[in-house]
Amino acid sequence: MTVSESPYWNPKTETLPKDQLRALQLTKLQSLVEYAWNRSPFHRRLYEKAGVTPDQIKTLDDIHRLPFMTREDWMACQAEQPLFGDMTTRPEEDAIRYHLTSGTSGRQPLRVLDGRKDWSWIADMWCYGFWGFGIRPSDKVFFAFSYGSFIGFWGAHYCCEKMGTLTLASGNMTTEQRVKQIVEMGVTVVCATPTYALRMGQAAEKMGIDLKKDGKVRRVVVSGEPAGSIPAVKQMIEEMWGGKCGDTAGMTEIGTIMIFECDHQPGGPHIIEDHFIEEVLDPDTAKPMNYGQRGERVVTSFGRGFIPLIRYKTKDLVCKAPHTLCRCGRTGDIYEGGILGRVDDMKLIRGTNVYPRAVEAVVREHSEVEEFQIIISRRDDVQDEITVKVELKPEEKDVWPRLQAKLGKDLADAHEGLRFNVELAAQGELPRFELKAKRLQDLRPQY
Amino acid sequence: MSDKKKEFYGKDLLGNDLTADEQELVELYTRLKSLSARQDLPPVATANVKQAMVMIWNACNDLALLNEEPGCD
Repeated sequence: MTVSESPYWNPKTETLPKDQLRALQLTKLQSLVEYAWNRSPFHRRLYEKAGVTPDQIKTLDDIHRLPFMTREDWMACQAEQPLFGDMTTRPEEDAIRYHLTSGTSGRQPLRVLDGRKDWSWIADMWCYGFWGFGIRPSDKVFFAFSYGSFIGFWGAHYCCEKMGTLTLASGNMTTEQRVKQIVEMGVTVVCATPTYALRMGQAAEKMGIDLKKDGKVRRVVVSGEPAGSIPAVKQMIEEMWGGKCGDTAGMTEIGTIMIFECDHQPGGPHIIEDHFIEEVLDPDTAKPMNYGQRGERVVTSFGRGFIPLIRYKTKDLVCKAPHTLCRCGRTGDIYEGGILGRVDDMKLIRGTNVYPRAVEAVVREHSEVEEFQIIISRRDDVQDEITVKVELKPEEKDVWPRLQAKLGKDLADAHEGLRFNVELAAQGELPRFELKAKRLQDLRPQY
Repeated sequence: MSDKKKEFYGKDLLGNDLTADEQELVELYTRLKSLSARQDLPPVATANVKQAMVMIWNACNDLALLNEEPGCD
């Protein structure tokens, strides 16, 4: 078998039997906890307060002895000791990269540093994903990404250089310039947020370019938004681009991705279990959830050395399924449906739970919709209202009265009968996004 | 890689003997690590050896051949 014929980036550990995978995780966990204890005052303090020492980690179940690490802890640590707090394990001069979280939540962004090995490992985790989704050195990979301080696709760019693909950066280009270059260069793989992949597709249509006929894209790798695993969104992207759409998910706190969809696409991405421990816990009680039960992702990363990440509460909502759901041979379990939303994303509207991702899943079933926005407001200081504003594709104006009624019904059916207001927005009225989309506005008074 | 080396002197993190190919990777890493720690080489050598060492470390780490502290260069 030649290198390119291997279906796995790392056949040895991606296909390890579960018992051996667990043994490997335990060895790595013991080493990581000891490292954090010795090198990071933040972690030492956290563990001393919880009365736990590294030598107490004797089995994988002992991970439950370790206290959680939260974003709030991290922010407080960096606020008390700017710029990086006392959780870094090495002097600042050993770092080669500095990045910030995207600030989607509107809070103070977190600052992160990475050393040489961290950065190489970050690229390598992307290699697991890209290789697993069928991308090979012969591909031409285009990054629709701004290359700023947000970590985004930075690691993926270096992954492609490592793999040996032709790698195209497009930091300063307009959407139209990007579309043009993708076609002109015969790009075979496009990387973007799901929202931006759609936007480029819409721009191509307006430019008179049929990406399916005029382009050579065979893979679209999306990341950064839960929409990447919504089947209707993927279908729209695939119909626009003519290539298979695969989801990945990561976070700045990790520096890279921890899950990716393999070429078989069994309904969710695989966890890279030789480099991460992914727990799914009840957000309120911290009780471990079984396969098929929704809970909060709590991640431990074995890769980033500058800032150890152990039992970090992500607030991502997920549902784990066994690896046997997929026939690719990987033994990393699967997050069915990808990242399902955020634990703190949930909005309570007149007693009904509403998740923006679920609304998007319904709206995207209707291909006539070009863009949308969710607005939550309070009427007469009493009654909460939820409105979905919809911008149609220019050629689809005639569908409105029928679509309005259908969307209202579909949204209500998906939310225990909750009434949604569905309104038409003018062409170009709603905001467009390049990075993470912010389609929800909660205008209710905050107390 | 070829299967030319038959003698094993180490084990991976799973307790398996290193294969000849794995042994070669670990040896290469060890040599590069030692070279990259030297202070007397010209910058062009130090910087590029460090890069090479990090890349080989990545292979060894992914293949579970090493148990090193994650952040050390």
